[in-house]
Amino acid sequence: MESIVSFCFALLAAPLLAAVIMKVKAYVAGKQGPPLFIKYYTLAKLFRKGSVYSNSTSFVFKLGPVISCCSAIMVLLFFPFAGVAPVFSFHGDVIILFYLLGLGRFFTILAALDTASPFEGMGAAREAYFSTLAEATIFVVLALFFRLTGSLSFAGYFTGTAVINLWNPPAGSLLLLVVVAMFMVLLTENSRVPVDDPATHLELTMIHEVMILDHSGPDLALIELGAYLKLFFYSAFITRLLYPFQLENVYQNGIIFYGIVCLIYVAVGITESIMARYRMHLVPKFILTSFALVFFATILTMEIVR
Amino acid sequence: MNAFFLSLAVILCGGVLPLFIHRQFNMMKAACFALVAAGCALGLFDTLSALLHPGVAATVSWPWLHIFALSFKMDSISAFFLIPIFLISPLAILYSLHYMEKPEHSLRTATNYFFNAVLIVSMALVACADNIPTFALAWEIMSVSSYFLVVYDFQDKDTRKAGYLYFIFAQGGAMFLFAAFAVIYRYTGNFAFIDLATLPETAKLIVFILAFIGFGSKAGIFPLHIWLPYAHPAAPSHISAVMSGVMIKMGIYGIVRIYELLGTPSLLFSQIVLVAGMITGVLGVVYALGKQDVKKLLAYSSVENIGIILIGLGIGMTGVATNTAAMAFCGFAGAFMHVFNHSIFKSLLFMGAGAILHKTKIRSIEQLGGLIKRMPITGRSFLVGSLAISGLPPFSGFIGEFLIYYGSFQGLHLTRASFILTAMAIVSLAVIGGLATACFTKVVGLAFLGEPRSAGAAQATEAGFTMQLTMVSLACACLLIGVLPAPFVRLAFKGIGDLQLVGGYAPDTFIEVLDNISKAAGLFLLLVLAISALRTLLSHAVYRHLLCRFHG
Repeated sequence: MESIVSFCFALLAAPLLAAVIMKVKAYVAGKQGPPLFIKYYTLAKLFRKGSVYSNSTSFVFKLGPVISCCSAIMVLLFFPFAGVAPVFSFHGDVIILFYLLGLGRFFTILAALDTASPFEGMGAAREAYFSTLAEATIFVVLALFFRLTGSLSFAGYFTGTAVINLWNPPAGSLLLLVVVAMFMVLLTENSRVPVDDPATHLELTMIHEVMILDHSGPDLALIELGAYLKLFFYSAFITRLLYPFQLENVYQNGIIFYGIVCLIYVAVGITESIMARYRMHLVPKFILTSFALVFFATILTMEIVR
Repeated sequence: MNAFFLSLAVILCGGVLPLFIHRQFNMMKAACFALVAAGCALGLFDTLSALLHPGVAATVSWPWLHIFALSFKMDSISAFFLIPIFLISPLAILYSLHYMEKPEHSLRTATNYFFNAVLIVSMALVACADNIPTFALAWEIMSVSSYFLVVYDFQDKDTRKAGYLYFIFAQGGAMFLFAAFAVIYRYTGNFAFIDLATLPETAKLIVFILAFIGFGSKAGIFPLHIWLPYAHPAAPSHISAVMSGVMIKMGIYGIVRIYELLGTPSLLFSQIVLVAGMITGVLGVVYALGKQDVKKLLAYSSVENIGIILIGLGIGMTGVATNTAAMAFCGFAGAFMHVFNHSIFKSLLFMGAGAILHKTKIRSIEQLGGLIKRMPITGRSFLVGSLAISGLPPFSGFIGEFLIYYGSFQGLHLTRASFILTAMAIVSLAVIGGLATACFTKVVGLAFLGEPRSAGAAQATEAGFTMQLTMVSLACACLLIGVLPAPFVRLAFKGIGDLQLVGGYAPDTFIEVLDNISKAAGLFLLLVLAISALRTLLSHAVYRHLLCRFHG
């Protein structure tokens, strides 16, 4: 019961948190910014609209948003928020979940190609390339976590006895590298600056945004919702790394957890405010840096973990 | 093994008969399909019963030419590799009923069916051969018959060149095999396979490396893969399906068999296989990404999948060498599972490519487009095949890769080189998966989605009935294995039963994980259905609302 409540709360909170980034960016720019509930208004507005489909599209175009949103929901179902046990969990679930995110990406790319627009094809090619590199980082992180905890599930990493702990020397110090690398993966996978600029105006320079240009109404709403959930998942992942502790009181846990998640969103907002996006050819280097960091951490475990 | 040989005889009859009745074109095809299907069904039944009720491996031996003996043995490894042979081959012939539709070439078609039957029989014999002459004989018949299948379109210069290249690689590979057999004979003094375990250590290493090169040229290990992207596009599509889905797996079978016979868990073997697998897998998919010809791309993707299978074998061998039971079991079972799955989805994809080629006469995906509207069944089956080959859940490709991942993770507690190689294997699998997604979204997106980019693509029509039937049944198999993997993985666990692995691992603990995977897959499908239903309801409600406002 507690798990389901926690899951629903996460579903509801994700759009609110996404607005935090906008608010931070506006604050840094000296503007007032949109209200905090802007994302709910956007979703409600989109859901009330109809969809427009071009004659080029087929059923794949309609399937794309549904599957990418479902894959993000699936990941949240298996994730322990604030130390509350997840709704479902089994040994090996991380592999299937990251592959489900891959399935969501597969259909997003197909939906983009289905519009027969060359711009969308370009965005799709970039997305496929960059996310492949990010996937390598993620799987090294999983390998590192397996070496530290002997577990292959989110519940195993973040709840129970053999929990991943940043504050537990000496192995914990390696997790600093993981935190940095996962933050870079978060920026990549959620198309944030410096990898991609969600607020850019030119299709030529877009990655993710250009792929969803032709979606409208509820389809777009599902894509947006999926994006909020995915961003929330990566932030929650980093939060559990930073704060692996568990208090007696569920509410205190929740408040601390969501507080740190908020801080990560603020960090994303600040990154976006103070950095420009990289030129395309620098992006792979950025992602491979995250790979190098975690691979280095994994090699270091040869001395630390016996 | 009587039923097994009876089934081979029936299949061979199915091949010989068309040569005599080729003037009745349709009757010839139907008769050939009926006989081959009956033979394969019988063979499949015999194989499955041998696999499910393991006992003493059945052996048969006949004297031949006074000095040799032809001896056969069906243990669990042979039985497992026989399943794709007996499963895919009749489907390929069913597909060819609508694919081979040129009555003016009836004799050539009949010859094609003849060599096809010979290929099926020889592959089955390779999987069961139990001494050196038998194996060499079956191996050569397999290579030669598949050469004749490749050069079906012999009037075309490129086809002849492709056939020539294939012949060189097949015979060059066989040369390495004969060298390996010579080394064996030098030490054991007889032709029996069973004595391989008595070789001295250095001889074992030489035999393994020679055999690895020989079998590798058949399987398409990098850099011996060069013939694949020429021979597969040149051959008729149902032949490419059998060659890529089934025949190159005989190379994998050879590697497994020689490993089993040598019986030494040396870490060096596993490192060779693992490194070869990683290089083959990553480079295969990178080359595939750059290809525009659909069948060339699929050929390179076969190279990639051979890499994945080798990574699985390498992980399993590492597990045996380091006494890690779970790693050994999951690595080998994952490799076997991927052999089985790849035979299904790769033949599906080649058949899809064949349907495109048949209807549009276009090879380059750049000139296709929009085919899913004109060939809805082919398009949907091809989409399922692409999802499966990219290793995405809930489709079959994921199951094999999951087993290999699972085995690799169990090896992460090792030290030094084994640890680094295991971690590298995980990274390569992730990269291969990501690049395969990129590659197959490109194929599906450019060929089937969007707008047609040439007149041929715009005028395409749906493929013939038997072609659709074959592709749909293969696509259903991909989804079924992905959602309910447990019985199929049990089969793979039975298959590795006769490999001498480390004891102490109960496959049942893994079956539990598989049950959870099928639950997760089911949950995901339910979620997709629920959200789609909500989405449809919502759009109806919105539509009605807008309609009211418009009229009001």
